Amino acid sequence: MKSLVSLFLRPSALICGFLLFVHIAMPVLAAEVTEDPLERQTLDIAKDLRCAVCQNESVADSKAGLAHDMRAIIREQLKAGKSRDEIVDYFVARYGNYVLMKPPTHGAGEVIWLAPLVLLVVIGLSGFVFLRRRLRSTLPPPPPLSKEDAARVRAARRQQDT
Amino acid sequence: MLANNLSLNIVELGHFCAYLAMIVALVQGLAPIAAHYLRVPRLAQLSVNASIAVFVLTTIGGLSLVQAFVTSNFSVQYVAQNSNTLLPIFYKVAALWGGHEGSLYLWVWILTFYTMIVGWLGRKHYPEHLPVILAVQGWLMVGFFGLILFLSNPFDRLFPVPMEGNDLNPLLQDPGMVGHPPMLYLGYVGFSVPFAFAMTALITRWRSELWVGLIRRWALIAWGFLTTGIILGGWWAYYELGWGGYWAWDPVENASLMPWLLGTALVHSITVQDRRRMLHAWNIFLVISTFSLSLLGTFLVRSGVLSSVHAFAVDPGRGMYILVFMALVLTVSFGIFMAKGRYQQAEEVITSYMSREALFVFNNVLFIVACSVVLLGTLYPLALDALSGMKITVAAPFFNTIMVPILMVVILLMAIAPLVPWRKVNIERLRTRLLWPLIIGASVTVAMLVFMQPVHWVGPVAVGLALFALANLLADYLRAVRQRRAQLKEPFIRAGIKTVLGNRRHYGGMIVHLGIVIISLGLVGSGLFRSDQTVSMAPGDVVEVSGEKLRFDGVTSLKHENYSAIQGQLTLLNSGRTVKPQLRRYPRQEAPTTETSIDSTMLRDVYVVMAQSNDGQKWAIHVYVNPLMRFIWGGGIIILSGIFLSLTSRRRKRDAREPAGAAEPAQ
Repeated sequence: MKSLVSLFLRPSALICGFLLFVHIAMPVLAAEVTEDPLERQTLDIAKDLRCAVCQNESVADSKAGLAHDMRAIIREQLKAGKSRDEIVDYFVARYGNYVLMKPPTHGAGEVIWLAPLVLLVVIGLSGFVFLRRRLRSTLPPPPPLSKEDAARVRAARRQQDT
Repeated sequence: MLANNLSLNIVELGHFCAYLAMIVALVQGLAPIAAHYLRVPRLAQLSVNASIAVFVLTTIGGLSLVQAFVTSNFSVQYVAQNSNTLLPIFYKVAALWGGHEGSLYLWVWILTFYTMIVGWLGRKHYPEHLPVILAVQGWLMVGFFGLILFLSNPFDRLFPVPMEGNDLNPLLQDPGMVGHPPMLYLGYVGFSVPFAFAMTALITRWRSELWVGLIRRWALIAWGFLTTGIILGGWWAYYELGWGGYWAWDPVENASLMPWLLGTALVHSITVQDRRRMLHAWNIFLVISTFSLSLLGTFLVRSGVLSSVHAFAVDPGRGMYILVFMALVLTVSFGIFMAKGRYQQAEEVITSYMSREALFVFNNVLFIVACSVVLLGTLYPLALDALSGMKITVAAPFFNTIMVPILMVVILLMAIAPLVPWRKVNIERLRTRLLWPLIIGASVTVAMLVFMQPVHWVGPVAVGLALFALANLLADYLRAVRQRRAQLKEPFIRAGIKTVLGNRRHYGGMIVHLGIVIISLGLVGSGLFRSDQTVSMAPGDVVEVSGEKLRFDGVTSLKHENYSAIQGQLTLLNSGRTVKPQLRRYPRQEAPTTETSIDSTMLRDVYVVMAQSNDGQKWAIHVYVNPLMRFIWGGGIIILSGIFLSLTSRRRKRDAREPAGAAEPAQ
């Protein structure tokens, strides 16, 4: 009988032992997974596209089936070597501008981008004009008293006189 | 069988009470009008008694619905659609506001509650105007009861009676959903009280000094509830919807933000009226607009117009009713405003551009621009689709681009304005006071730009602004404490507390500002410094997201009262704590729902979502690290405590002297 010690010193046993150690120590030396760069690229494009059946959700955030399918299409097209713009154009051709999370800066979308500026100018100017008028003028004359109030004042005066 | 019959009858009793409530509300609305035209002043008192009766009747109706939910009475269609025998009792009660009909009922129930409180308080403090106030509220109730009873009736029956209900939407089976809608509605409906006061002020030519405090107080209460509702909604969306964010600029969210923005303008400019006796008519205008936006919010969320303008046009009933109702409210209230607004006139003038009152005007400009942008962004796509059939999307990218700069100017204003006194500022003194806070804010901005190389200029600038505001707040407070100590020779802590308690309105407001600063830091942190990864993990795999290492330990199956779940477990290797995201399957639901798991500390949230596995070995795990999330929720609590402090202030006694120049009667 060979000694037990020599059994453990055999090269194959050493390798097995090492693997066992690795397995036990896995939490420390565990396989670190990282994100698939393709997934990041997919989500980067997906977050600018609207999930067409959702309420204001992007394809990246939505859990709807359609969003899942759209992400799959983006992934495939990326694999096929298409550029970001080509993929976005592909979806715009099918769904129209509706699919863009950011409204276009031309056509119907132009209004929405210009409006805040117009609102700021109009509302800001009205505020400024209001302040200027209040600064310059004295108070407007008070409105005339109503009949009842005038009668009340007369009555009070009469009472004071007597 | 007997019990069943009894519960059937209780629902009918509730239904009957709801009809009765509508009739009594009509009496409440008509009584002061009748009293005026028939010249029987005592008749007006009827509306005061009616307000109590309406509340009692509405409560009976509401409780009968709650009873139907608790006993799973599926002969009531609304119960069958929104509940289930397996639903925990907590959610059975909350299911009352889980759908259209019930949430409208909650709306009117809250309205009757507020009206009763106003009636109760009014007998002592403003008895002469009370009938008119209650009449305005009465008409609003009539409008909503009409909608509920004729077009959207939660008491409707279903025959044959199903054995099992349809279940509450799983997303709504959550503690956040129990609190969010009632809070939001307490806010929306709360603005009906200032609205009723404002209408009464116009109609009766009520003197400004007598109503300004009332409107201020009620607007603050409504604004506080609305703030709570919005933050609870964000919190719910954050941990329930599983996309790592809390605010999506969804039209439904915008619907609650619009009255909040105008309400914010209102609670500021009403102070100008209170302290400087100007902007009377403007405040009434703001009150009407804020309440109209509350109605618009209800309309947007409850009419179905958001999901599709075409569906709305095909089945107009409910939506058309709200639209006509809103048009009526707008026409009547703005009509009265135009006819009678001139009697609510400023009694003083502004003396300088650099005065607190002028800065309040600037504040109003900013909040109105912000509100208009949200209004436009929400309605423009709907209008465009309805008119031309063109569809565009106006979503987060648009709103963030426009609103973030506006809100940064708001923070800048918030930092400076509290240091500017009423009437006129001493520029020299202001400059010295602003110097150090400015240095602090600017150096933080520069440091962040240099050392963090942020992706976007907004982050450093916003943080600098927030710290500028924070430094100003603290410095201003410490100056007040020092002054008090110098005068009264008090110890530091005592002087610190007394300063706050001695001027609760001011420091209440400053605490709200503090909350806003902290929330903005949270928004910047979570909005601009978030990182995330989607990875496919087998048990034992480790993923690292911005310094946080997570190990996937595997999954277990769980069985719960009303759902079954697969629960994953991940260990955070930095701290040893675990997160347990779930995939839940509810009966009667096709797709499984995800349940996020969050490990939260002061500085960051680790937010984990688990998706369906393709092979049972590897699971798609989405890990987000969201910095400073707790700042948002904590800031919300600070805001609430500030509002609370402000509301505990006693109204200053003032002599109700005649406004200058109005003493001479025009003969």
